[in-house]
Amino acid sequence: MTSQSVPTPPSPANNVKLVRTFPRFSVSQRWEHALLLLSIAILLLTGLPQKYNTSTWSQAIISTPERLYIIQQVHHIAALLLTALVIYHLGNALSLIFRRKLPGDILPTGQDIKDAWNMLLYLIFIKKQKPAFGKYNFEQKVTYWFLFFSISIMGISGYVMWFPEAVTRILPGGVIPAAIMAHSTEAIVTLIFIVLWHFYHVHLERLNLSIFSGWLNEEDMHTYHSLEY
Amino acid sequence: MMKHTAYLKLPVVILVSGFTILASFFWFRTSQASERNQQTEEYCLSCHSNPELEMTLPSGEVLPLYVNPEKLPESVHSPNGIECEACHTEITTYPHPPIEYETRRELSRSYYAACQKCHPDNYTKTLDSMHAQAAEAGNLDAPVCTDCHGTHYIQPPDEPRTLIPSTCGNCHTTEYSVYQSSIHGNALVQESNPDVPVCTTCHGVHNIQDPTTQQFRIDEPDLCASCHADPEMMSKYGLSADVYSLYNLSWHGVDVSVYEARWPTIQHQSAICTDCHGIHDILSPDDPNSSVNPANLLVTCQKCHPGVGPNWTGAWTGHYEVSLERTPFLYYVDLFYTYFAPAVLWACGIYVALQFIRFMADRARRSL
Repeated sequence: MTSQSVPTPPSPANNVKLVRTFPRFSVSQRWEHALLLLSIAILLLTGLPQKYNTSTWSQAIISTPERLYIIQQVHHIAALLLTALVIYHLGNALSLIFRRKLPGDILPTGQDIKDAWNMLLYLIFIKKQKPAFGKYNFEQKVTYWFLFFSISIMGISGYVMWFPEAVTRILPGGVIPAAIMAHSTEAIVTLIFIVLWHFYHVHLERLNLSIFSGWLNEEDMHTYHSLEY
Repeated sequence: MMKHTAYLKLPVVILVSGFTILASFFWFRTSQASERNQQTEEYCLSCHSNPELEMTLPSGEVLPLYVNPEKLPESVHSPNGIECEACHTEITTYPHPPIEYETRRELSRSYYAACQKCHPDNYTKTLDSMHAQAAEAGNLDAPVCTDCHGTHYIQPPDEPRTLIPSTCGNCHTTEYSVYQSSIHGNALVQESNPDVPVCTTCHGVHNIQDPTTQQFRIDEPDLCASCHADPEMMSKYGLSADVYSLYNLSWHGVDVSVYEARWPTIQHQSAICTDCHGIHDILSPDDPNSSVNPANLLVTCQKCHPGVGPNWTGAWTGHYEVSLERTPFLYYVDLFYTYFAPAVLWACGIYVALQFIRFMADRARRSL
């Protein structure tokens, strides 16, 4: 175990180890993530049985037309929750921009491309050291912006499918089949991304629960966010 | 020597005499049958060939008893030796037993049961039909065998093929006249087209079912597909054989297939072929009167989607492949995901795999 830098006062017993914690996410950000997780989980659970309607597991879930109706209603409610979340998130970002208080940590920079390249060299055993990262490394930025893109596509195409009559008053009819295809395919792409990319980084690489607890310990801070540390 | 020769000839004599007896037996049988056939018909026709022969039933209806002696031998039954008494079983001699039917209809409905003796399969099928149900519900005009096939002068019912719709049209007059002006009926009458559906193609023959049930509705796309998804038949008329498979991918088609697979008896609202194309009045989409002619399509959509605007018809892709000309939005979305979806899958997969390998390698190195 590496020794921790222990601030004063010294610990009363030698076997007690103080762990410094570093704030990472605010309470509202943690709530946002929890609600995002909840709404996406519900949307996938109610959407996938509709997409894969010929499979037996889907037929077990959607066993009656009434259940199909309920599943569609639940999907719509979860969609409204996600929409509210997106509006809150964007509104908050706009208000921070307006007050010139937006922390730019999540915005992509040229450094991220360099980091990604160096990371790749590290992964194929050309470099010995991982690049040093700030508050959000490029992997986390990719996660954020990929989901930003996904949710935009899913949201727009979802509302086109929900209100096709209203949409075709303004837009050509061809957007409806396009929205159906985009909604159906983007859902799978997003699911693959979350399972492969996001779950690997927060569950397998290390169990990172900071989005729920709000803090990181010193070791993780040192290892993964050395520039911020 | 003499004895020897006779001995040699014996098997030949037995063979020849045996063959003669056998041949005479066959000759005797056929000649007897045709003789009896002619005899019975001739015997009955000795009175019934009189065009003025008739009787009055208790209801006051006149029952003609005339049988045309020229037309009778042209029927399917007479040349095959099926004679008067095959159906008129209770009449074996003259004078006949008295007729106990009140009306002509009562007589027909009783006599047609004789068909069952030789045609049990088709007879049993009719008992399951919509017509039998109508009769059970009290409509005695509901057709029995003889109403469609005739009585004494029965001919093959589909020669020529135009005979089928005109037979059904005897009662179903509106449907018949509408059918005649449809693309199917018109091709049948004008071109003697052998492929177009007649009434029985869609409704069945003897066990005709109620076409207003949910089961009929759910099976209907498959019914149309039995011709319209047949590439060989469709190529003869320059029609696409993909209309059905593409429909199955459309919003309507997916909906219908879910109901077909799981809830075939439950009412569903999604459009099937006939909802847009019509039923007996189907016309070519190029026909200005067609419900799916571009000029009329919006009105057809509005039957189920009231109040939709003119852009709405552009949403329909159900019979067309994705193409840049017809469905540009769909084309670009399709193109995008053709590359984007596998790219995301491979990029995530490879990156995470590399990371995992590096992580395990570091760990192994540390533990050494």
